[in-house]
Amino acid sequence: MAKSTIIPFGPQHPVLPEPLHLDLVVDDERVVEAVPQIGFIHRGLEKLTETRDYNQFIYVAERICGICAFGHSMGYAETIEKLMEVQIPERAEYIRVILHELSRVHSHILWMGLAADAFGYESLFMHCWRLRERVLDVFEMTTGGRVIFSDVCVGGVNRDLTPEMQKKMLDVLNGLKDEYATLCNAFLNDSSVKSRLVGVGYISQESAFAQGMVGPFARASNVNNDVRCYGNGAYGKLSDFQPILDTDGDCYARVKVRALEVLQSIDIIEELLRTIPDGEIAIKVKGSPKPGAQASNTLEQPRGECYYYAKSNGTKYLERMRMRTPTSMNLAGMTTALAGCELADVNMIVLTIDPCISCTER
Amino acid sequence: MPLQTKFIDYTIDDITRVKEEKLADGWRAVQILCTNCDDGLEIVYTYTKGDVMENYIVHGVTKDDVIPSISDAFIGMFVFENEAHDLFGANIQGIAIDFGGKFYDLAMPEPMTVISAEKQAAKEKAAKVAAAKAAAEAKRAAATDAAKDEKPSIEEQRAAFEAKIANLDPEKAAKMRAAFEAKLAKLAKEGE
Repeated sequence: MAKSTIIPFGPQHPVLPEPLHLDLVVDDERVVEAVPQIGFIHRGLEKLTETRDYNQFIYVAERICGICAFGHSMGYAETIEKLMEVQIPERAEYIRVILHELSRVHSHILWMGLAADAFGYESLFMHCWRLRERVLDVFEMTTGGRVIFSDVCVGGVNRDLTPEMQKKMLDVLNGLKDEYATLCNAFLNDSSVKSRLVGVGYISQESAFAQGMVGPFARASNVNNDVRCYGNGAYGKLSDFQPILDTDGDCYARVKVRALEVLQSIDIIEELLRTIPDGEIAIKVKGSPKPGAQASNTLEQPRGECYYYAKSNGTKYLERMRMRTPTSMNLAGMTTALAGCELADVNMIVLTIDPCISCTER
Repeated sequence: MPLQTKFIDYTIDDITRVKEEKLADGWRAVQILCTNCDDGLEIVYTYTKGDVMENYIVHGVTKDDVIPSISDAFIGMFVFENEAHDLFGANIQGIAIDFGGKFYDLAMPEPMTVISAEKQAAKEKAAKVAAAKAAAEAKRAAATDAAKDEKPSIEEQRAAFEAKIANLDPEKAAKMRAAFEAKLAKLAKEGE
């Protein structure tokens, strides 16, 4: 006769990079229910709009998360530009998307390393992170920073991509592709990896949609809500963009989607670098938004759709700034994926949603 | 196809109806957010389908108002409903996974409803600037109207000017008179 037990999991756990707590109700070794708890690191960053004007707040926005730092500054700036009805130079749009896609490359490779560590393949973890360092080198070369770049401003970007930088970037990405193919082979074809991932933490397409899941977590269950399809900014200049989907809905499918998205992002960067137009990289944005004006915006972060909302009160300080991050939409899906799994698979399933609690709590 | 964003005002009574319509029509709930306004909370519900994103806004929500949860239909919204309760004090009933005010570990209750001194000062300053701007605009309009109605003749202007410089040093008065005459000549030329 099985006996129900509640096992607390996190917020500090060797396999969890983020402070997430789960109450796992288990019958023997099988998880019956998982109740998530966050709130350990709520920082009240949205409240800071009261003391930071809309230009200063961009530095707060990019500190929401260390991995999606560029994406948050870009999403925030796009929202303010919408609020103030500003059109930025085309070259700035290209630079933003190039660096944002590069962020996706480093985020996904970072995550793949963490996943490898979770299923006990430590050398694969090290190789992933070694490769990621080369992407960070590109960031350092182009923006001066490896984690926080401060490259986006309201009205464009702060630094141009010189032809030398563009060439170096292409060289690094070309070199990266070969080594990355070897890593992908280990992730997608290794039998021991497959034995940990295939069929684990399954979520159907219907369930994924009903729970509002976003990002690679949703796309692995064949739910297409990739915001890049809307063609905002330089995404609209791409010759073709098809989101990467999978129908299997398990942990393996989530690894596969992210693995392929890295290659897709490299292709996007290469295409944009080939077609980037000359011109200004920023325009001067002056004044305050109109009182009562409001704007919302979405951006495809590495973890999925991120929603931004801004409301003005007529001063240079916003009345409200809101960032709804992808992980907050994926928590419900995570609990569904955990229900019925083996206790030993909990860490894998939690990791395959790529949770970022720092983003979620802001 | 760029994303089309809409902002639509609605009421607390519409929340459940819109939720059911969106669920039946295959929409996805994106988020819920609150804003602390002078007349109470403003709650924004965002739904999306295809390339359309609709933001439904309820204005003037007080702590006495009971807000029906939408997390029974859109389970992912439990995060935002708990957040709205903990950070803003929104009285949301029937949350699918209700943390009973313990979702965030907060140092003080409903921190987002506290209006900081900086924000209050900025708002008051903005209100004063707007009022001063409006008053100056009204004054300028009134002066223009009055000028149109009765414009003094050149002789009257000259007499008023002479009265103004009567007690000045003669040398300075002569300089000011020359400048005044030049101005009158310029105005007369423009008038022709």
